[in-house]
Amino acid sequence: MFEDRQDPVDRIVSHLRRPVQIDPALDGRVMQEIADGETGRRPGAAVVAWRWLIRPRQLAVSPLGALATAAGLAALVWALPGRGARPAPAEATSRQFQFVVVAPRATRVALVGDFNDWDATRTPMRPSPRGGSVWTAVLPLSPGRYRYAFLVDGSRWLADPAAPHARDDEFGAPSSVVTVGGS
Amino acid sequence: MGTSDGELVRRVLAGDTGAYAALVARYRDRLGRYAVHMLGDRQDAEEALQDAFVRAHRSLARCDDPERFGAWLYGILVNRCRTTGGRAARRARLFVRDDAALSGVPLPSPAERAEWDDTVRWALGRLTPEYREAFLLKHVEDLEYEEMAQLTGAGISALKMRVKRAREQLQIIFREAERV
Repeated sequence: MFEDRQDPVDRIVSHLRRPVQIDPALDGRVMQEIADGETGRRPGAAVVAWRWLIRPRQLAVSPLGALATAAGLAALVWALPGRGARPAPAEATSRQFQFVVVAPRATRVALVGDFNDWDATRTPMRPSPRGGSVWTAVLPLSPGRYRYAFLVDGSRWLADPAAPHARDDEFGAPSSVVTVGGS
Repeated sequence: MGTSDGELVRRVLAGDTGAYAALVARYRDRLGRYAVHMLGDRQDAEEALQDAFVRAHRSLARCDDPERFGAWLYGILVNRCRTTGGRAARRARLFVRDDAALSGVPLPSPAERAEWDDTVRWALGRLTPEYREAFLLKHVEDLEYEEMAQLTGAGISALKMRVKRAREQLQIIFREAERV
């Protein structure tokens, strides 16, 4: 079986270094999953309509037009989620969580994690009005496990010293874990 | 010369999701090789690879150096392979032959080819996941120990020890196999 006198480990290495072809259809599956995820995060049609409706604007309408507009508005408000529909279970059980970090020399701190897609612009933390070294952010969390970190001055990642460190972080930066139980 | 990783990453971050398809195509086979050898199962490897690509896209803003997107993605895949490898071990799956991995590669004969491929797979499967990971990253993916340490979170001396032990164990495994 091993007529070749080459070191078997070197033979293994040569064997393993050969190119491996992965099914190119994987590309389509990846992009589809990404597209599905983005669709899932888009606001619903009712929310978009509500935002459009409450945007300030000046309207000039005839009396008949005003009547038609009022009827349409009443129908839309009636159909909005939350008006007659129960809130989603996750929303019903979410609780407010306060995140605190001490960063005396920071000029800005952001809370980033699974709950905001690690987007540094979505949850800026507020400095303490007295000293400015304590930064806080409060946000509602539904039951689940979330990894998070603090981003100081846009470049320095800090894990939460008061929370367990995430063992499964694969992005190369320290992060912590908060687990929110159901009620 | 094609578009750089950094340029593609910046386009994705600016909202051009399609630019990510170019990154996926660029790294699919390169990273797929590691996943296939690490997990010993093509289906598990493709699942881990797909998951790594999707997670990387979701967290792309955390890629500090877009020009080194490949190295960053590698770290995500190594982590996913650990998780998948753990699940696979719990399922006590057996290694199976992977003919697709050998397509287009000239070897002496189908019988020898299959035998050698099975033997390599079997031998790798006898290493612990830590030793297999270190061995593949060092000798197959040709990484420096500093890079391996960044990817795995292990110390350099620990990684050197794992690679050394992996080589020793493979030698022993093959000596045993020759006697069979």
